Amino acid sequence: MKKQKIEDIFSSMEDFTSVPPPELWGQIEEKLDKPKKKKRAILWWSAAACLLLGLLLPSVLHFTSNDLGVKTIQNGSVENNVVLDQKNNETDKTRSIENNENILEKESNNNRVSSSEKTINQSQNNSLNQNSETAKKQSDSPKKTNNINFESGLNGQKNSEVAEKTFVPTQENGLNAVSKNQISTNKKENTNRAVAEKTFVSAGENGFNAASKNQILTNKKENLNKAVAEKPFAPNKSNSFNYGSKNQSTDLEKRNADKILAEKKFAPAKTNKFNAASANQLPNSIFEDLKSSKNKNAMAFNASNSTAKRNSNTLSPSKENIEKTTAEKSIASVQKDYSKNNAAITNANILSKKDSVQLAELQNLEKGIAAASVEEKKKKEDKLLSKADKWALQVFAGVANSENYKNNKTLGNVNDSKQSNSYGVKTQYKINKKWAVASGLKINELGQSVANVSYLNAKKQALFSSSDYFVKNETVPQIASDTRYVLVSNSTKDVLQSENVETGNLDQNLRYIEMPLEVSYSIFSKKRTNINLNTGGFVGRLISNSIAIDGNSMGENVNANDYVYGTTLSSTVQYRVYKKTNVFVEPAVNYYANPLNNQSFNQFQWGLNFGLNVNF
Amino acid sequence: MKDDLDKYIKLCMKNDREGQLKIYQLFSPVLYGICLKYMKNEDDAKDVFQEAFVIVFQKISQYKFEGSFEGWLKRIFINKLIETLNKKKKESFFLDVFDPDTDFIEEEELDVIPIEQEKLLEYIRDLPDQYRTVFNLYVFEKMKHKEIAELLKISEGTSKSNLNRAKHILQKRILQSKKNFKIA
Repeated sequence: MKKQKIEDIFSSMEDFTSVPPPELWGQIEEKLDKPKKKKRAILWWSAAACLLLGLLLPSVLHFTSNDLGVKTIQNGSVENNVVLDQKNNETDKTRSIENNENILEKESNNNRVSSSEKTINQSQNNSLNQNSETAKKQSDSPKKTNNINFESGLNGQKNSEVAEKTFVPTQENGLNAVSKNQISTNKKENTNRAVAEKTFVSAGENGFNAASKNQILTNKKENLNKAVAEKPFAPNKSNSFNYGSKNQSTDLEKRNADKILAEKKFAPAKTNKFNAASANQLPNSIFEDLKSSKNKNAMAFNASNSTAKRNSNTLSPSKENIEKTTAEKSIASVQKDYSKNNAAITNANILSKKDSVQLAELQNLEKGIAAASVEEKKKKEDKLLSKADKWALQVFAGVANSENYKNNKTLGNVNDSKQSNSYGVKTQYKINKKWAVASGLKINELGQSVANVSYLNAKKQALFSSSDYFVKNETVPQIASDTRYVLVSNSTKDVLQSENVETGNLDQNLRYIEMPLEVSYSIFSKKRTNINLNTGGFVGRLISNSIAIDGNSMGENVNANDYVYGTTLSSTVQYRVYKKTNVFVEPAVNYYANPLNNQSFNQFQWGLNFGLNVNF
Repeated sequence: MKDDLDKYIKLCMKNDREGQLKIYQLFSPVLYGICLKYMKNEDDAKDVFQEAFVIVFQKISQYKFEGSFEGWLKRIFINKLIETLNKKKKESFFLDVFDPDTDFIEEEELDVIPIEQEKLLEYIRDLPDQYRTVFNLYVFEKMKHKEIAELLKISEGTSKSNLNRAKHILQKRILQSKKNFKIA
């Protein structure tokens, strides 16, 4: 007996190949899609962070503004009170910040949980989608085929290029179901079971599933075949392995009980290179087919193993040609069954050659009309697309903080920032992919807080009258409409040294209804995310004007302008959540040119808007 | 064929799913075969196969269209397989030290008997991880002991020892199967 080394024995394993289970591709796809999910998760996280920031901003600003406020100073003990109040405020502040941090942590934990749940759901959904997509792709995978026309005459339906599709829609001619039955009836003693999953078919390119199946086909062993693939019967002129394998397994009148387990298939590369050449001579038309009743469907499967190696036990197909004479029978019976169900086909079978020619012409005409209508539809769709999504409606709300950068003073005291809310609607019109204009209506509030403002309260001082020196003295500016309060500037207060002078926080709010006109430029646009830069101007109409000292209303600010104008600059980060619906976060800065006359006021306003954008 | 392959690779570089599927269809049998040879059980092989394919598609832009694409793929897979096996060091992976007395067992030539690939695969997979890896790299990847040693971060002696022991085990298994074959 011939001797050989271990390495020689195992040399056949060098080119060992094995078909991976079909589900692995789906899992790979899923993993390939994962980074996107991460991106999405990041987006969600950033949106959540922005939201939290936006919600926390007012409270933070509130505390910072309160720090500077000293409420009451009386009877010359000014300095001590100030120190005490500041300390108290500081402790309050630290407590509140701690509380806020705790809240933050809790919220972030909640967010984490919810987002992880979402991720899981998404991944599940995606995997399902992917699977279905894969299935679709597989079913649509093209094959090298010749066209076989099943013309169901009276129905006027033409199922050309049947072989290009893996399955024939049952709605069209019901061949699918019929053919399946046909296969089952033709199985005779074969116990092929088609349990179907996915098939990876790369026709003409050594599709590995097909190859593995073909191995079984060519294998003459009496194995139990279990074809793991749902494949419809479609008479195929080409060398599609899937069809070939199934058809042949039905027609080879062997007592095989093949069991193809695709998952554990050992397909040696050197032995599974099939040269399958089918010689099916199917007629081009069923009419001719039936009329002549001389079907010569000879399906030949020439599986050759050009590189068959010494391993006799490998599943190597020997050269064999299997003539398929029964294919004729099966196709004819398919047609029979079909004709039973559909009388139209039976009628069509009786048609003469002339009729069939006329019918073909009619069908061509129909085709032409259909093609034209399709083109028209496409044009319409293009037009619609070009028109679609041009407009967008935005609804938003947010927080704003009014500030000044000039260290402006009122009555000798520094103007502090003030926090307010804003909301509105905006419509946007896209000029092109990059540029858009927008306008709308927005309710916005510009505010200012001034600490340590000295004033005299006429309500408390019975002897004090509004027609007093201070009121009439032009050197003291009076900004409130309510004359019962007299504001005193720092310099006057020192001179006055009166016990009646109180000190408090002066709050001023100017609420406007604004109409902005903005230009947007898209700086980033990818899939679901859009980032725009917006700039423009606005005109505002004063709708509310209030001034208060220590929470006591002083009426209106007499210096407020009824109309205000300004400029705005913002950036919109938009994320598409559903079809035409987007959510967005919009940090913005506004500049008000003329909120008040003869008085300094916060003219800058930082804002953070959150909103919903619907394209239409 | 080469043009088609290049086309698919370029599609993959654009993260095109169709292109990725084509590449998968073309090379998955070979690459899955490699995974089965290197990993002890099929589940592990599947895991590595998936992970390696994901790496392939993520790093495909690094392929410069120089040399064999299949070779490039195999390198990625083998690196991934070794990385995975290295993580499983619990099994005293590559701890064997070369011992000239026991490891220079004369390799016996065996009678030619037909052995199915499935059986051969089974024998390979039954080898301990370290032996199997060295055996695979030496016999199938045609690597030299020096290269194997560098790749696995072991000494050349250990590599030779592992190979010898692997062969010895396989020899026993084949002789056993030969007996069974004769009985049958």
